[in-house]
Amino acid sequence: MALPKRIIKETERLMAEPVKGISAVPHEDNLRYFDVTIEGPEQSPYEGGVFKLELFLPDDYPMTPPKIRFLTKIYHPNIDRLGRICLDVLKGNWSPALQIRTILLSIQALLGAPNPDDPLANDVAQKWKEDQNAAIETARQWTREHAKP
Amino acid sequence: MRVIIKEWNAVAAWRWDMPDDDVCGICRNPYDSTCSKCKYPGDECPLLLGECNHSFHMHCIISWLRQESSLEKCPMCRQPFKSKSQDPVTPAPRQTQTANATPTTAT
Ligand SMILES: [Zn+2]
Ligand SMILES: [Zn+2]
Ligand SMILES: [Zn+2]
Repeated sequence: MALPKRIIKETERLMAEPVKGISAVPHEDNLRYFDVTIEGPEQSPYEGGVFKLELFLPDDYPMTPPKIRFLTKIYHPNIDRLGRICLDVLKGNWSPALQIRTILLSIQALLGAPNPDDPLANDVAQKWKEDQNAAIETARQWTREHAKP
Repeated sequence: MRVIIKEWNAVAAWRWDMPDDDVCGICRNPYDSTCSKCKYPGDECPLLLGECNHSFHMHCIISWLRQESSLEKCPMCRQPFKSKSQDPVTPAPRQTQTANATPTTAT
């Protein structure tokens, strides 16, 4: 099956003009499957960490959003144990005008701004609300342990 | 000890990567080219202008509006998408290919 031009263009642009702190490289044998890394934003508990993700473009992309999840363990109220991400643009707020690039930027922004009021990982969100300092410390610790560059 | 977070380094969440020079916001092919399914530009693969002044290949916007998750909104501005032309953009029943079905009389 031929790869739609849009996916080719997006890939070329991701390679030619990479986003700071983000990389996305397609698999040679499956150009719909990308290995992604995102650097933790500065001044966030994830600073200094490099997080691996997998991204897959379904057959009906861009009518449906990319499927994406964290492979690196991360302590975050909007990311669950399986690495699934609670982000509106990956669900009901998807629009075909969005791109891989914009989605990865939103995920990077989510690392900089955890939102315990819209949680996916309930236990983490609970901790985050009860004792934010402790939660942030745990997030730092997990980053040091699991997200080594 | 109490740490007050003064500032989150929240990068602007996302933005439309637009305007690219005259490309359809869905398939990213130029308007004067076709959608990703068609071969020949022009009448076969027309453009559709919305009341919000965003335009797309008709095939692109129809396949988006057919998605339940689209909520019939414009992909660019998320307002309800209404065609500016008189034809409503309801997913029209496919034209039956009667041409192929009519037997041609060979003399
Ligand atoms: Zn198009
Ligand atoms: Zn077309
Ligand atoms: Zn619009």
